[in-house]
Amino acid sequence: MLANFLIMLQNRWPEIMIGTWQHIQLTLVALLIANLIALPLGILLTRKRKVAETIIGITSVFQTIPSLALLGFMVPIFGIGFMPAIIALTVYGLLPILRNTYTGIVGVNQAVIDAGTGMGMTSRQVLFMIELPLALPIIMAGIRTATVMVIGVATLAALVGAGGLGDLIFRGIAMARQDLILAGAIPVALLSILFDYGLKKIELFVQPKNQ
Amino acid sequence: MRKFILLLISILMALSILGCSSPFGKDTNTVIIGGKNFTEQDILVYLMKGVIEKNTNLKVETKAYLGGTNVVAQAIERGDLDIYAEYTGTALVNILGEEYTPPSSPEIVYEKVKDIYADKKQIIWLKPFGFNNTYTLAMRTSQADELSIQSMSDLAKQSSNLKLGATHEFLERVDGYSNVKAVYDMKFDLPAGMDPGLTYAACRDGNVDVIDAFSTDGRIIAFNLKVLEDDKQVFPPFYAAPLIRADTLKLHPEIADALNLLAGKINSEEMSKLNAKVDLDGKSPNVVANEWLADNGFL
Repeated sequence: MLANFLIMLQNRWPEIMIGTWQHIQLTLVALLIANLIALPLGILLTRKRKVAETIIGITSVFQTIPSLALLGFMVPIFGIGFMPAIIALTVYGLLPILRNTYTGIVGVNQAVIDAGTGMGMTSRQVLFMIELPLALPIIMAGIRTATVMVIGVATLAALVGAGGLGDLIFRGIAMARQDLILAGAIPVALLSILFDYGLKKIELFVQPKNQ
Repeated sequence: MRKFILLLISILMALSILGCSSPFGKDTNTVIIGGKNFTEQDILVYLMKGVIEKNTNLKVETKAYLGGTNVVAQAIERGDLDIYAEYTGTALVNILGEEYTPPSSPEIVYEKVKDIYADKKQIIWLKPFGFNNTYTLAMRTSQADELSIQSMSDLAKQSSNLKLGATHEFLERVDGYSNVKAVYDMKFDLPAGMDPGLTYAACRDGNVDVIDAFSTDGRIIAFNLKVLEDDKQVFPPFYAAPLIRADTLKLHPEIADALNLLAGKINSEEMSKLNAKVDLDGKSPNVVANEWLADNGFL
């Protein structure tokens, strides 16, 4: 059993490598876009708290659409391939980042902000020197959640011709070959762990030391 | 009041248990017909249901759109299903793991799977419906004419410039892409795997140039696609026929007579039209099946 699995791994190695690379591309591009949208938007919402719940509510609604259905929606509009997959994954990554950015900044102790303002800090200085550093652990937690989710959901990209590790999984399902399913699923799990670990390291690195 | 509510709840619970059509054993006057997760199989489920209900006293429960070949094949072996429609080529290569060696004929393949099934699985092959839903490659008619591609051999020569989009199953089957690639020396770049529901439209819209297709799919005609001739006969014949568990058949031999009424009655063109009615006109498989049965004097 194990020997067969190893032989299969050897035979499939090029496919696993291509799949992993495509998977990383899908994940990174989608996360980059999601971060570029959600981080500034989250910060903006802390300045416009009246509309915050509405906007976050809208992204929550996207989150409740089953990921498979979301991909399905994209196909008539964007065809097949990289494009629909990236858009669906981006939409999926938005909520955790947006919500944690907002919650993290709103949760910063008002006394600390008042102290900063009292020392003559501008609003921008308060944001970059007080609010963001103090909210960082929560913001990073959001990014990590989004990352792990997007890596998982990206397996579905194989259904719309975007490749990735889902390709091996769906081939395995089509042929009822557990070993092939594992050949796709194990790298996905490893990617999740690896990315999560990397982000944790980044988080520790950028965190204020004297907390 | 509280007693009354409690009573009501207990009655409801008792009824719901009874309503589950006896969970402790199959009702012997009910047969279960299953189907795989694509349109043609859905239609076949209701066609078979129609003739059985018309010609016997049995009740039919349908479990349509179950899953892929393996799900349905395992379900009938375990006894979760009594009947489903299988294709000779699928049974030979996918389920039995036998090799298809051309030259062959539909009859040889049918007899072979029939014998092995009766022997090893106690599942009986009834007479084929008449159509051959074989794997094939298709491309846009306009592009095929432009490049003067008629057959898969013609395609192979120009394959390095064309993009292949295919279902994951086709890419993985031993008798699928790997076989076509080897026999015809296809030189496609990395093929794009995708959901079976997307290939035809992806080809029509030019996202890909060549797709794997089923010869009875209604979208081939509707999307103006051209089926390429399999000039080296790499694909086995895929004639569909009803399968039934031997123990079910023993209990109700009349089912065979009922299902055999459909034998040879649906050719490939007829099946494509039925598929198109569901896939393109948006009719329900149930309605399409019953209309066909009524139009052809089965009801």
